[in-house]
Amino acid sequence: MTVDRDKFAMDATDKAIINRIQSDFPRTERPYAAIGQEFGLDEAQVIERVSRLKESGIIRRIGGNFVPDKLGFVSTLCAARVPKDKVEMFTEAVNQYPGVTHNYLRENDYNIWFTFISPSMDEIKANLSEISAKTGVEDIINLPATNVYKIRAQFEL
Amino acid sequence: MLTDVDKKVVAAIQGDIPISQRPYKELAESIGISEAQFLEAVRKLHDQGVIRRFGATIRHQKSGFSANAMVAWKVDEARVHEAGKIFAGFKGVSHCYRRNPVSTWPYNLYTMIHAQAQEECVEMAREMAHAVGVEDYNLLFSKRELKKTSMEYFPFDDDD
Repeated sequence: MTVDRDKFAMDATDKAIINRIQSDFPRTERPYAAIGQEFGLDEAQVIERVSRLKESGIIRRIGGNFVPDKLGFVSTLCAARVPKDKVEMFTEAVNQYPGVTHNYLRENDYNIWFTFISPSMDEIKANLSEISAKTGVEDIINLPATNVYKIRAQFEL
Repeated sequence: MLTDVDKKVVAAIQGDIPISQRPYKELAESIGISEAQFLEAVRKLHDQGVIRRFGATIRHQKSGFSANAMVAWKVDEARVHEAGKIFAGFKGVSHCYRRNPVSTWPYNLYTMIHAQAQEECVEMAREMAHAVGVEDYNLLFSKRELKKTSMEYFPFDDDD
């Protein structure tokens, strides 16, 4: 299936399907048939629409999102003050850790912000020291969350 | 406690599940269990809150929320929980956390905010500041995405 990413436009049914499957995708044998039943579509039509939404890039992925703690992992947010001429090198050093899942260049003295997930905080600290040693970037702050007030499940379209 | 089957199921659904008639059957076969066992494990992980959210992740940029910013707030500790709850009530806020401040970075409350344009993010932050009565905050727009992936928990070992 070929979909022109820039020209693709969602209709009302596409939006309704996306809103339906963002946080509670059916956990039954025929999930697309179940969704179809709710919208008066048959299974094949739902599969076609969802495939198109995936192909167009609107849907990044369909799957599970986990609470790291409950899988025996810890997570944190880190920020580093990296000189301009070291940004590429530092990024490469940080991104090679599989536990670094998100990394952004931001407009601040602390210009590199990344999330780190790992089996333990000690391992994260050791990895941060390793990154400092390798890159010469000393100022990396580690900001684990102490309280969660919101993680939104859904972007209403 | 997670069983070995649970871990394999987590590994199977942490990526992209197939868009097909019987996606769970395909995944179950890939890890050598039955579709029924697979679904039972998924439901259990969901009921236990191990799965925080099960479904489609959308790209904000392609769905009309093209601007986003991380906002770091310096809030009086005595009011931080109250402020966190107020921020959580804003529709444009997707994430809100408290984090310990450090000497070089005194902020203790963090929000991710989303809007159609950068100016709207600035305006939203202004409204949020007003709602909580906080003056010291820092909007951190992203200049470049350097990495964005999902965590790979329990990757299959070669000797599995």
